Amino acid sequence: MTEALGSRALELSPAVGYSALALVALSTVLIGIYGLRISRTTGDFYVASRTVRPWWNASAIGGEYLSAASFLGVAGLILISGVDALWFPIGYTAGYLMLLLFVAAPLRRSGAYTIPDFAQARLDSLPVRRVTSMLVVVVGWLYIVPQLHGAALTVRITTGLPNWVGPLAVVVVVTLSVVTGGMRSITFVQAFQYWLKLTALAIPVVFILVRLGSDGAPVTGGGSAFTADLNTTADASLYGTISLVIALLFGTLGLPHILVRFYTNPDGASARRTTLIVLGLLSVFYLFPTVYGILGRIHTPELAAEGAADATVLLLPGRIFDGTAGDLLSALVTAGAFAAFLSTTSGLVVSLAGVVSQEFFQGSVRGFRRAALLSALVPLVVALLTDSLALAGSVGSVFAFTASTICPLLLLGIWWRGLTDAGAIAGMLVGAVLCGGAIAATALLGDGGNHWVWLGQPALWSVPTAFVTMVLVSRATSGRRPASASRVLARLHTPEPRRSDGADRHP
Amino acid sequence: MTPDEPDVPRRVRVTAPRTAARVRGASFPVAREMAEQSEVGQLFVASLIRSQLRLALVVAGGFLVILIGIPVLLAVFPDINAVTILTVPVPWLLLGLGIYPLVISCAVLYVRSAGRNERRFQDLVDDD
Repeated sequence: MTEALGSRALELSPAVGYSALALVALSTVLIGIYGLRISRTTGDFYVASRTVRPWWNASAIGGEYLSAASFLGVAGLILISGVDALWFPIGYTAGYLMLLLFVAAPLRRSGAYTIPDFAQARLDSLPVRRVTSMLVVVVGWLYIVPQLHGAALTVRITTGLPNWVGPLAVVVVVTLSVVTGGMRSITFVQAFQYWLKLTALAIPVVFILVRLGSDGAPVTGGGSAFTADLNTTADASLYGTISLVIALLFGTLGLPHILVRFYTNPDGASARRTTLIVLGLLSVFYLFPTVYGILGRIHTPELAAEGAADATVLLLPGRIFDGTAGDLLSALVTAGAFAAFLSTTSGLVVSLAGVVSQEFFQGSVRGFRRAALLSALVPLVVALLTDSLALAGSVGSVFAFTASTICPLLLLGIWWRGLTDAGAIAGMLVGAVLCGGAIAATALLGDGGNHWVWLGQPALWSVPTAFVTMVLVSRATSGRRPASASRVLARLHTPEPRRSDGADRHP
Repeated sequence: MTPDEPDVPRRVRVTAPRTAARVRGASFPVAREMAEQSEVGQLFVASLIRSQLRLALVVAGGFLVILIGIPVLLAVFPDINAVTILTVPVPWLLLGLGIYPLVISCAVLYVRSAGRNERRFQDLVDDD
C-alpha cells in the first residue's frame, strides 16, 4: 500500500499542504496557551474543574471524537465498499445514543476522574483498578496509532514529505498543548476543532456541488455512483454488518477519551444535555464524508484500486477545481484532516495521561506532564514501525475491543448491584483475550473474506461472552459484593438537588 | 506496579476549590443521606433505578430492532436495492440520511423521560 502511494505523483502544490498544516498547528498551540492562563489547579488539568458548559463541551466531544477514521476513513470506505460503509457513521453516531441511555448521567455523578477511578470506587478493589487501567492504556494506544497513520498519509499526499513527518508533527503539537494547558485548554482546542472540521468539509463540498450543478456535470452519474460494480470489496454479510454495528454502538461506551469528557459537565442532567447536542453535531457532520464518498465514486474511482481510498477527501477538491480555487479548497480539507488527528490524539493523550499519572506518578501536575509524554511516545513508535490499514476498519477493531472489555464493566457496574471484583476482572479478561485474539488472528492470517468474517468481526460473540462471564462469576462470588454497592448505586442515580436561586454559579 | 508494597502513597482525590461541583457538594448529602439511610429512602432509590433502567432498555431495544431490522429486511427482500428516489437507491437514503433523525428522536424522548423520573423522585424526597 505504501509503495502504491509512494509512486503517486504529487497532485497538490506542496505550499498548500505546508500552509494548512502550519495554520492548524499554530492555532492549536495558541489556543492551548490562552487556556494555560486560566488553568491553575490540578482539577483544571484533569477535568477543567467541571465548569464547561454543554455547548462548549458538546463541541469539544465532537472535536475529539471525529478522528481520522471519520474525516478521511468514511469517505474512503464508501469509495471501496459502497452502501455497506454507511454503517460506520451510523455506528459512530448511535454509540452516543447508547452512551446517553446507559452511562452519561450516572458516570458524571460518580465523581471519579477516569474509568479506573470509577471501577475502584464502585467495586472497592485495587486489582480491578489495575486491570481497568491496563485496558484503558491499551485501548488508548491502539486508537492513537491509526490517527498517526492518517497523519502520515495526509502529510505525504499534500507535501510529499516522508512518512515519519506527519506522526511526529502530531505528537509534538499534542504534547506541547497538553503539557502546557491540561484539560481546560484542551476543551477550547477541541471545541474549535469540531467547527474547523465541519467547515473544512462543508465549504469545499458546497463549492463542488455548485460547480458540478452549473456545469451540468454528473453529481451522482445518473445513479451510477451507487452501483455495486464500483466496489472493490466483497459485499458485507448480514453477520458482518450486525457484528460491526454492535461493536460500534457499544464500543463508544468504553472509549477513554470520551468518558473523561463527561466529568467536565457540572451535573448529571447537563451531561445528558451535552450528549444530546453531540448527537446533533455528529449527525450533521457525517452527511459530508458521505457526500465526498459518493462524489469520489465518480471522480476519483482509481484511488480504490491504488489502495489510497482514504485520500479521497483530500484529493477531490483539486480534481474539480483548477488553480487558486482548487488550492484554497484543498488547503481547507487538509487543515481539517490535520485538526482531526490533532484533536483525537490530544484527547486520548489527556485521558491516558490522567490514568497513567494517577497509577504511577501520584496524580500531581508534574506527573500528569510526564505521563502525557509517555502516552504520546509509545504509539508514535508503534505507528512508525507499522504500516497503515484502512483507517475506518482499524478504528472499528478498537471499538470491538472496548465493547468486549470496558463496556460490560461500565454497564453492569452502573446498573447491577450484584457485580463483584472477581466477576469484573474475569469478564474483562475473557473479553480482552477473545476479541484481542480474534483481531490478532485476522491480522496474521489476512482477510479471508466472508468465510472468516466471524473472526474479523468478533463483537457479536465476544461482547455477549464478556457480559455472561461477568454475570456468572459475580453470581458465583456473591460473597465478595462490596458493602458499599447500594450506597454507590444510589449516588450514581439520584439527581442533584434543585438549586433554589436557579442561576448558574460558574462564569 | 507494586500492589503489595505497604508504603504506596494513598491516592488523594483533588478538586479545585472553586468548582460548582464542590460548592453544590455541600448541599448534596441532605436528600442523599436521607435516601440512603432511611428504609423508605432506599425504596425510592431502588424504584428510581428500576424505572431509569426500564426506560433506557425500552428506548435502546426499540432503536436496535429498527436498526438491525434494516439489514435483515434488505437481506430478505433484495428487490428493495433496485428502488430509487431521484436516482438514489433507497438503502443509501435510509442509511445515509434516514437513521439520523431516528437517533435524535430516541435521544430527545429519553432525555425528557429520564428528567421526569428524576423530578418525580425529588418530589418524593422533598415531601418526606
